[in-house]
Amino acid sequence: MWKEKETIGFHGGFNFLDTYLVKFCNIIEEVSSGSTPEIFKYSIPDREVKYVIVNLCPTESWELPNWAILENKTLSFLDKLGEIRVRYFPKAHFFIAINKKEDRTIAEAMNYASNAEWMKIFALDQKYPQDDPVLLTKVILGTDINFGQDTMDLGILILDAQTVSAIYESCILGNKVNSRLIAISGTGLKENEIINVQLGTSVDKVLHYRTVEAGGYRVFVNGPLRGKEISDLSQKIDWSTNNIVVLKEQDSKVMFPMLKSGELTFTTNTHGELRQCIYCNFCDSICPVDLEPALYYHSYIRGEKHKARLYNLEKCIECGLCSFICPSKLELLRINRECKALGKKL
Amino acid sequence: MKKSLKPLEDILSKNLDRAESFIHAHPKINFLFGSLFEAFDSLIRSTRETAQTQPFIRNNYDVKRFMGAVLVALAFGWVFPSIYFYGWQCVLPKLMVSFIVGVFIVDVSWAIIAREGHISEGGFVSCMFIPAILPPQSPLWLTGLGAALAILFRNILGGVGNNLVNPALFSRLFLTICFPALLVAGYQIPFVGIPDLHALRYGLDTITHATPLTAFKVNGEIPSYFSLFLGTASGSLGETCRLALILSALWLIKIKVANWRIPVSYLGSVFIFSLFFSLILGKAVAPPLFQLLSGGLILGAFFMATDPITATYNQTAKWVFGAGCGFITVLIRDFTTLPEGVMYAILLMNLLATPIQSLAVKMRYRI
Repeated sequence: MWKEKETIGFHGGFNFLDTYLVKFCNIIEEVSSGSTPEIFKYSIPDREVKYVIVNLCPTESWELPNWAILENKTLSFLDKLGEIRVRYFPKAHFFIAINKKEDRTIAEAMNYASNAEWMKIFALDQKYPQDDPVLLTKVILGTDINFGQDTMDLGILILDAQTVSAIYESCILGNKVNSRLIAISGTGLKENEIINVQLGTSVDKVLHYRTVEAGGYRVFVNGPLRGKEISDLSQKIDWSTNNIVVLKEQDSKVMFPMLKSGELTFTTNTHGELRQCIYCNFCDSICPVDLEPALYYHSYIRGEKHKARLYNLEKCIECGLCSFICPSKLELLRINRECKALGKKL
Repeated sequence: MKKSLKPLEDILSKNLDRAESFIHAHPKINFLFGSLFEAFDSLIRSTRETAQTQPFIRNNYDVKRFMGAVLVALAFGWVFPSIYFYGWQCVLPKLMVSFIVGVFIVDVSWAIIAREGHISEGGFVSCMFIPAILPPQSPLWLTGLGAALAILFRNILGGVGNNLVNPALFSRLFLTICFPALLVAGYQIPFVGIPDLHALRYGLDTITHATPLTAFKVNGEIPSYFSLFLGTASGSLGETCRLALILSALWLIKIKVANWRIPVSYLGSVFIFSLFFSLILGKAVAPPLFQLLSGGLILGAFFMATDPITATYNQTAKWVFGAGCGFITVLIRDFTTLPEGVMYAILLMNLLATPIQSLAVKMRYRI
């Protein structure tokens, strides 16, 4: 009953990869859009790029895992990266952030980096939201950027693995890239899969025959934490779509939830009633940027939204971990956003 | 096993659904029993609510579990040890009276009168504390009155989340003022050795003995630290077995229900200040280790002062809060006629927590 691992190890982030185990099987299918697919275009930034950060450290378990792109291809991937550097960013420093637990990838990359001075390898914890631009630049370069700020202002370019290979294919080899890999997972699906989808395909078509028949489900593009819920399934998949999560809408009561937390965990259920803040300090110990979200909540319920801005609210990176962990089920992220929006109007 | 229980679960769940819709359809029944049903229902079933705003996935840890963890820790911390030391006839009736009066009478009638939607979980924790902080031989009605006062006081302030001071300690303060004789006497010598049936039932009955702190005030007598640590010296029902209390509190700290900063700073400051005073005043005041292991200090530092609602929210301010508790405790123990000061210290610092918190926040954000 009290064995839940997730209640213990959280400090400045949360380990989703170990808590929500999402296993993808190796099948990679092709889903075609039916019409002419859109073609990936990458415009090389015209401003000077000083640093390029390649993020190989997905921190949400439903994100596209690295092995789908890198498996047995780490060296050729790094070769591609080298060619992109020579062609487009000859003066830039390259930083590659890899999950600490992926020993093999790190070893291969380290071996490669010993011959390449332009590249540095960083082994990062797999804590969400470690791959957020604000935290990535803070950890790797030591520079502070504001949430929502374009990293190109400071000459920092952040790329993910799939974009790197697509840039290589389209800009250097001159091939047309019209499809990308998408991870689909969740309790609303029969199976978790990684699918090769043509750009421009509708979400409906991807999820066709894959969702469970019984019960309601909700669809989230780019994950339930940072992503958006879409009610209109005819929306098209573009290059920014990394994953689709389909969660079971658990809106009926379940007997003895304490005994079967596994059944409920990966659903939209709040797992508890709304209560008053009990000052448990969960939100400020999980906050990755060291804020105290309960202060904003107290300012908000006292009707003093403007006071929330006094407590470093602008540093909030809207990762949603405070709402996620809150035992009283308070909508802390929504309150943060409301208080922030007030600041902009004044 | 699980599969065979599945049809039973379905039947129970359906009937609960039916009862719920019946209650909601009849306003008068809802007025009287709605909150009671809700409380019972929420204990055995999950909620219907789903996340409507980002993030759409929530952790499965709620206030019920939070309070449940405290209840489990208290059960291992004082209920089981005190059954061994004083017999179950001393412990269980008090617990039952405390829960029946506190939760099932005062809390439920408050929910009906004040038209609260639900019965808060925090009441259980307060009711678990009440017998622990009263003498073993205190009458049952005193426990009942204490539980009633604690829950009433908690509800008047607005329930869990709005408490100004610890309700259980407030009710003990009230009882100390109203019935001083009952709270000074009635400290029983615990049973030691291999228990037989009689001992498990009654303990060593009717042998009263002053608490170690009172004995020290009167004639400067100090019992062995070992007996204090294991709980074989007299004291309030739940405060004697320090070993069990510390172990269960460590578990609470590990699962992040209790904050480690408060007990560390509380016990640390008690040690430092009592060392300081005993170096200056010599044998007139109690030595540090004796102070740490006597009275309600361990129970207070690990379970009462760490009550998150009445302590400060800011982590730095928690150090100040704990240190203040320790300082006041030592002051009261050493320089007043009262033998024990933990209750007063925690209550005072609970009141001071709000200014400490706002000061700490102002210093941190440079407002």
